[in-house]
Amino acid sequence: MPTVTYIEHDGTEHRVELPAGWTLMQGATLNGINGIEGECGGSCGCATCHVYVDEAYLDKLPAPSETEEEMLECTASPRRANSRLSCQIKAMPEIDGIVVHLPETQS
Amino acid sequence: MFRFDPYSPANDADPFPAYKTLRDEHPAFWCEEAGMWVYSRYADIVTALNDWQTYSSAKGNLVDELPNRAGNTLGTTDPPRHDRLRALIQKAVTKRALDYLEDPIRAVCRKHLDALKGRKTFDFVNDFSSKVTVDLLFHLFAMPTDKQEIVRDKAVLMVQTDPVTRKKGPEHLAAYEWMANFAAELVAERKKNPGDDLLSNFITSEIDGEKLADKEVQLTVTTLIMAGIESLSGFMSVMGLNLADHPEARRALVADPSLIPDAMEESLRYNTSAQRFRRCLTRDVEIHGKVMKAGDFVMLAYGAGNRDERQFPNPDVYDITRKPRGHLGFGGGVHACLGTAIARMACKIAFEEFLQAFPDFTRTQQDLPWVPSSNFRSPLKLELAVG
Ligand code: HEM
Ligand code: FES
Repeated sequence: MPTVTYIEHDGTEHRVELPAGWTLMQGATLNGINGIEGECGGSCGCATCHVYVDEAYLDKLPAPSETEEEMLECTASPRRANSRLSCQIKAMPEIDGIVVHLPETQS
Repeated sequence: MFRFDPYSPANDADPFPAYKTLRDEHPAFWCEEAGMWVYSRYADIVTALNDWQTYSSAKGNLVDELPNRAGNTLGTTDPPRHDRLRALIQKAVTKRALDYLEDPIRAVCRKHLDALKGRKTFDFVNDFSSKVTVDLLFHLFAMPTDKQEIVRDKAVLMVQTDPVTRKKGPEHLAAYEWMANFAAELVAERKKNPGDDLLSNFITSEIDGEKLADKEVQLTVTTLIMAGIESLSGFMSVMGLNLADHPEARRALVADPSLIPDAMEESLRYNTSAQRFRRCLTRDVEIHGKVMKAGDFVMLAYGAGNRDERQFPNPDVYDITRKPRGHLGFGGGVHACLGTAIARMACKIAFEEFLQAFPDFTRTQQDLPWVPSSNFRSPLKLELAVG
């Protein structure tokens, strides 16, 4: 199972294993990791699952869809070049070990 | 031999014991009555929701689908078409875009609560939750208010199934047809005189420079009315029931109304009104020792996944401090409910106002009449005694 490391805004690290095909948003909410809310259930409609993807993994991800691009304009913490919505990132062998940083606030 | 009958009145009233047996003994169950497989474990349902390529909605998402709906609405198309349709509406229903609704919703709640002042008993469903919901949806879609009552009645009827024939009955189909015609007239009228309401924006939209097909517009509008009215009032009624049956939770909310959103999330987990939807397999899938064939339907029992102790400890306890992130009360994945922000805002305000007007109440019926439906679960009537 691919592993994902979440680093909370205060520096707390969580390493979890996710079944392939599950999203990074689910990985956080299902493991009780604070800092990702996922209010819309993963339909790319709320931007409360915002993460900053570690640069080393950014290129390995499929490009954001048009809807994700639009929703990234609505994040509560500043959007940066490495901003993504974690409900749109699926855990796959290709991104095994991925590291994401959680923003200060989601709403 | 174990049977699971989503059409039986006993299941409408209390599906939870059967769900437990499904989860523990038959995680991939062939349901004769519905003619489809049933997933009841949290992890299996999430896996299905994450994989729309395998678990398609294009053959319909209602356990008993309505004529012509499959392939023509938001809930019954797959990406990429689905995503383009959804993008047309999505922005208008995000939390921030809905701020303007706060005052009108509050006013609507107060109006209906004022009418109940001095009453010792009333019906939470027909005197409050459906009235508030219908007013709200008519406001949101700028629909003609003289049609409120009939639209509400038809919306409630069209989601039901007949417990005897195990199908949609003529009255349910007639209600659906009435709503489709109502939507068609609304669409025609908005095309001529578009406003700046949500429906007008959708109706006049184009995808890739191409106008939406009339059928698509009409049936999506039909779905929005159905989903908005039936789902929201059904859920509000269930939450009202939870607060009647769990006085300690109710007292906590009265003392601190900022806990209302937590109680709502726990209600979405504990007994969401949207209990079961379906998908169609696009390829063979082997799971829990069963082989399901491409073309088979799979029922996703969200209400069962929400009580899975593999995911939620002590799942049968209603605990408003639980904060159950990841619950399936709104489904999940690409087809997760479009109305989450509207529903959260409406319930928050409705219960703030309701608990202020009536901090103390009990239910007077021993046994509740339940909506007969293979999809949804909510009481038809909820008589409360106040004070
Ligand atoms: C608390 C109240 C509500 C509940 C419990 C609820 C529940 C659900 C669920 C479980 C689904 C997923 C269906 C599936 O998996 O196939 C869904 C989809 C949907 N809901 Fe809601 N809903 C509620 C309120 C609303 C409101 C107020 C609206 C509209 C104004 C709405 C519009 C929709 C639409 C359009 C879809 C289809 C979305 C898609 O397929 O992309 N819902 N709802
Ligand atoms: S969970 Fe809402 S956009 Fe990701």
